[in-house]
Amino acid sequence: MIFLIEYNRSQGRIVTFRDFDDSQRREAEDARLGIELDLNRKGIDHEVVLLEAASKDALHRTHQRYFADLTGLLKSAGGQNEWAGRWEEKGSGVDSR
Amino acid sequence: MIKNAFSKTQIDRLGDRLKGGSHTESDLRLLDDYRRSFGEAYEAVVRTLRQRGEVPTGRLAKSTVSIAEKLRRESIRLSQMQDIAGCRIVVGNVVEQEQLVASLKTDFPGATLIDRRDNPSFGYRAIHVIAVISGKPIEIQVRSSLQHMWAEVSEKSSDVLDPTIKYGGGSDVWRNFLTVTSESVAACEELEKEGNAFYERVKKTVAELAAHEELEKKANAIYETAKKADAALPELHEFGHELQELRASLEGLKGDLEGHEQVNQETRRKLVRLRNVIADLLSRAISDLDKLKGEKQ
Repeated sequence: MIFLIEYNRSQGRIVTFRDFDDSQRREAEDARLGIELDLNRKGIDHEVVLLEAASKDALHRTHQRYFADLTGLLKSAGGQNEWAGRWEEKGSGVDSR
Repeated sequence: MIKNAFSKTQIDRLGDRLKGGSHTESDLRLLDDYRRSFGEAYEAVVRTLRQRGEVPTGRLAKSTVSIAEKLRRESIRLSQMQDIAGCRIVVGNVVEQEQLVASLKTDFPGATLIDRRDNPSFGYRAIHVIAVISGKPIEIQVRSSLQHMWAEVSEKSSDVLDPTIKYGGGSDVWRNFLTVTSESVAACEELEKEGNAFYERVKKTVAELAAHEELEKKANAIYETAKKADAALPELHEFGHELQELRASLEGLKGDLEGHEQVNQETRRKLVRLRNVIADLLSRAISDLDKLKGEKQ
């Protein structure tokens, strides 16, 4: 599957999320260009990316950054790794918003 | 119609405009065409990876924002950028990572390897394999799960805290956190590698032991046979002795038999002579008797 993501970096959140069949690659590329041109006209600096993965779950595994917030990412890392868990217990001292 | 032929100068000038933030709508369209020209090479790489059972997440095209930032951050030209299109594979651990990269070197002969584990880029550790298909570079990011988690945290914190974090900036606290955790991941993975090397040694030793046990079984069987033969030696000796006696006895018997035969033959000869004597005597007696009968008549 092909996934089109418009991502607001500073807010750390997805603005647009669309999926396409593998056969719709051309449409996905056109849609990506359409969003970029629109953002350019509006002077908005969002990240627009096309990703291709076996499933949405697979996409989440390799590109968590788009879907989880920083606290969620740290918790996820902490769940599997003692080093991140320890850091969380101590507290990072940084507001992740 | 997607344009596939671009001059290096045309692309680098486009890069300059993106770098300066002075790009127009036609620049975005040209960049889009340039990105799409990597499509076939990207497809070839992803197809090869899927055929070998990997599950890559492909990035069909690097975002304009990321391209512009990279051009500003590094002295690289747009035509030299090797990650316009690519994909990412996350494997379980560093041992699997090395095995996969070794396979990729075979799958994509001449591919360039960028190992950011020994020399991390601001804490970022991974191996990037740059495969070149029909002159188009395609970046394959190979990360272990720990390296990936670290990268996700680093990227997300760059997004929401400070864009410079990813490249060594940001607050001391956060930079220290990323540095320490990156080093911890490195130490953890070094242990993983050592653990794996130890496991391989144990596996080899176990195989050697199994072979040794097999040899030992054979040796034991030979030993048991030898032991039995050894225990049977006095008996064999006795038997041999008896056999010798038997042989001597047989030789004696044979001699006796030969003697008996001689005696037998002599006896037979005597008997024949005796019979002949008797026959003569009988013949003479009959003759004498006939003479007496004639004299009486």
